[in-house]
Amino acid sequence: MTQTSGSIPLRQFGKSDVKISALGLGGHHLGDAPDEPTAVRIVQEAVDGGVTFFDNCWEYHRGKSEICMGRGLQGRRDKVFLMTKVCSHGRESALAMQMLEQSLRRLQTDHLDLWQIHGVSFDNDPELFIRPNGAAEALRKAKEQGKVRFVGFTGHKDPQLHLKMLNVGFEFDSVQMPLNAFDSQFHSFETQVLPELNKRGIAALGMKPINGHGEPVKGGVVSAQEALRYAMSLPATTTITGMESLDILHQNLAIAQGFQPMSPQDMQALRERVKPQAGDGRYELYKLSLKFDNPEARLAHEMPLDMQSVEVKEMVNATKNTGHPFPKVS
Amino acid sequence: MQNSHDSGRRNFLKGAAILGASTVAGQISMAQAQQNSGGTADSGSGETVPHRSLGRTGIQVSAMGLGGYHLGSAKDQKEANEIVEVAMDAGINFFDNAWDYHDGHSEEVLGTALKGKRDKVVVMTKVCTHGRGKDVAMQQLEESLRRLQTDHLDVWQIHEVIYETDPDLIYAPGGAAEALLQAKQQGKVRAIGFTGHKDPSIHRRMLAHNFPFDTVQMPLNCLDATFRSFETNVLPEAQRQGIAVLGMKSMGGSGEIIINGAATPSEALRYAMSLPVATTISGVDSMEILEQNLAIAKGFQPMTSAEMQALRDRCKTLAADGRMELFKVTKKYDGGVGRQQHHFPSSEELPA
Repeated sequence: MTQTSGSIPLRQFGKSDVKISALGLGGHHLGDAPDEPTAVRIVQEAVDGGVTFFDNCWEYHRGKSEICMGRGLQGRRDKVFLMTKVCSHGRESALAMQMLEQSLRRLQTDHLDLWQIHGVSFDNDPELFIRPNGAAEALRKAKEQGKVRFVGFTGHKDPQLHLKMLNVGFEFDSVQMPLNAFDSQFHSFETQVLPELNKRGIAALGMKPINGHGEPVKGGVVSAQEALRYAMSLPATTTITGMESLDILHQNLAIAQGFQPMSPQDMQALRERVKPQAGDGRYELYKLSLKFDNPEARLAHEMPLDMQSVEVKEMVNATKNTGHPFPKVS
Repeated sequence: MQNSHDSGRRNFLKGAAILGASTVAGQISMAQAQQNSGGTADSGSGETVPHRSLGRTGIQVSAMGLGGYHLGSAKDQKEANEIVEVAMDAGINFFDNAWDYHDGHSEEVLGTALKGKRDKVVVMTKVCTHGRGKDVAMQQLEESLRRLQTDHLDVWQIHEVIYETDPDLIYAPGGAAEALLQAKQQGKVRAIGFTGHKDPSIHRRMLAHNFPFDTVQMPLNCLDATFRSFETNVLPEAQRQGIAVLGMKSMGGSGEIIINGAATPSEALRYAMSLPVATTISGVDSMEILEQNLAIAKGFQPMTSAEMQALRDRCKTLAADGRMELFKVTKKYDGGVGRQQHHFPSSEELPA
């Protein structure tokens, strides 16, 4: 299963012969970097340090995350496996295709290695996805047109919803989900979804190894190292983690480059240790609240918006009248 | 923010009430044709709200109950007094409350409004242990009795059983379940139960212990039937155990079902009241809403099963993602005390 590039282990992507790094760079946090030059350097140093899997999404920071990643990947595009996500959230295939063109332009590339449906969060998302004229048709079309190599879906809400998506009759190449020690004890993707993906040969992409924003590290329950090692020791293809500074990148590279899987005993001990804090979901708000549901998901489902969310603030800002007749083109 | 939300809602519901009134008139003829659903639902005389048995307790309750949270939002004590008085004149005798509603203000307001009327009503309040033990529960009981100006409750329920770990914490040795039994033994409460708005599977786990609950409260509305349904998954089990069911959130909690045009107030309330429940608790924070609700309850004719099914079908698409049952899919309706005990962010930090 492991082979190295730089020195981060590479793992096989589903049933394909493509290999990707066991650590992936998350796109959302990239948009949180203090400035664009830092974001560009994070991407460049990550590639040079052996990270080949790059995550992103059409709506992260209203396109800023894709733009930064596109700039960072200039001259390095062929070294990486580039993924972004489409924010259709139940809406039609034409909208998804339009988002794909925008993503390609921002990422400065003519194709994606992986294109995933973003944030499958609500109970009727699977039906809306597979309906005539739904986003499933966009995934098929984009693949046919050679604009994307592989397709998948993501979500952080409910393992049962993932299983429902897996049973709509669409052939997914990958599925992304939260995987961390807390998850193993509460509405668990590790227990309910991961084995099914392994059985079907679908690439399993882990995310939120430190629960989204490092909450249990701040709470003193786990260390960043053990959290990341736990996630990377699961039978998943990669673990996507956000890095908004070079310090965090270096810390993560150090863990991934010298990666030694945890023993099954150590993993079980960690599960047991977090159990008292994991049982009611306090460290996994993405499963119980709208906090991690971005505005596109909320708008499409008419859920309340969060005025504190960075995307909503950016959305309000972006539509402010600047007094200029046309937007500035850089 | 709470205020502007309330007044917006009030105006919407007022508009919808006019619509509702004509619907009631249209449906009386339907009931006259004797197409009753055959459940336990009874009819209003047009003069007073019908009464039903509260399970096996021997207590009779009005088929519509007055919600305690909204009573605490009334503009002043005078308006709250008037709401309670007019409600009682119309036959309402079931009064809901909770230890933490408006930090005790709801209980105080109800206690004052019920002065001299206590023996005519069924008073329920809820205990907010959220995982803490018997001692905390018994202390809260004393506080509730004091605020409600009474020496006993008719119904005492464990509030907001909505966290995955709650059932285990409640049934743990020294847990809140023991407080329910002790309070009943001491004669401080006549009936005991629990409530929650989140997940039918948590209710089922609470009911799996064969604990001698007299009541169980849950959201019941025309959208619930097709989305994470309490009606389908919990109501039959409560009936099987002979536990009286108290319905709530007939309009979505803050009128979402009405505001978004899924159903009229009359349809929403009649649907909930036509289920095999002892009462449907409905929040009222103004005389206008009260009058609207009383008109519906006094003229209550149960929906036929065909009418109920037609309404479920009509609401199905809107029900499918939970947008009008935010208490199931977001943190919006989860109270502060529970969040604190379970180490969740406050509603200011995590509104939904």
